[in-house]
Amino acid sequence: MRLSKRKRTTSAAMNMTPMIDIVFLLIIFFMTVSQISEVNKTPVELPRESGEDVEQPAEIIINITQAEDYIIASKPYDLGGVISYVSQVIARKSGNVGLVSIVLRVDRRSTSRPVNEVSAALNQLGLTQVRFGVQHKEL
Amino acid sequence: MRLSSRKTSRDGRLELSMTSMIDVVFLLLIFFMTTAAFVKTEKQLSSAIKVEESSAQQTPRDLEPAIVEVLRNASGKFVYRIGSRDMTSEAELSQVLKQFPNKEDGAFVRVTDDAPFAMSAAAIAACRTARFAGVSYVPLKK
Repeated sequence: MRLSKRKRTTSAAMNMTPMIDIVFLLIIFFMTVSQISEVNKTPVELPRESGEDVEQPAEIIINITQAEDYIIASKPYDLGGVISYVSQVIARKSGNVGLVSIVLRVDRRSTSRPVNEVSAALNQLGLTQVRFGVQHKEL
Repeated sequence: MRLSSRKTSRDGRLELSMTSMIDVVFLLLIFFMTTAAFVKTEKQLSSAIKVEESSAQQTPRDLEPAIVEVLRNASGKFVYRIGSRDMTSEAELSQVLKQFPNKEDGAFVRVTDDAPFAMSAAAIAACRTARFAGVSYVPLKK
């Protein structure tokens, strides 16, 4: 026998917990990934050219600053250091230079001297292709 | 008077207020979306790297490949040089390269150490725009 007059209300409650879990997971993922990709890029003023290739991931990003310093993964190197770094990566790829892609991000206010030096050194290591980082003209 | 910070419904169930949580989540989302818009997009210029070969190793061709030199002229100004012609602007260089007859053998950009890198990059970009089969960067020995 029902004594109470109060009706049982069935509220359509949405369970927000999985949604918030996923949103936070995505936020943390993108924050981490963006930090990792940015650590390889030293802030340099790239030449303003209309490059034809979209940015592709590279094995090694060599940054050359206005002061003509070589920076790889936020660490400064001299030319000898750059050569040994690249040699180690080539050795890790079992000597297959075709698997080693290199991007040179050179400050446009720099002279071509560091580029010439590093190009000649890379050529001696058997690397024949590089990509130069540029910034789109409109920006 | 409310004694507990936790909301409890009349039937005794614990209710979590999701409003503040969603506020924070959307705030974070909007922040990241806004900052992502300011990231400058980068592009890339592909180039082969070559060192100068001795003349004995070079094979003679009917049509000479395009050789763009970035160097200092007699008056001390940096110019783009093709053959004996000096050009001061990238637009002028692009115009000359577009009319170049032999594009199958690619283009060579020879750069002196003291040349500004902006000019070297402009020369490579001009060669790519002129649709040469390949572009090679050659450090110019003094």
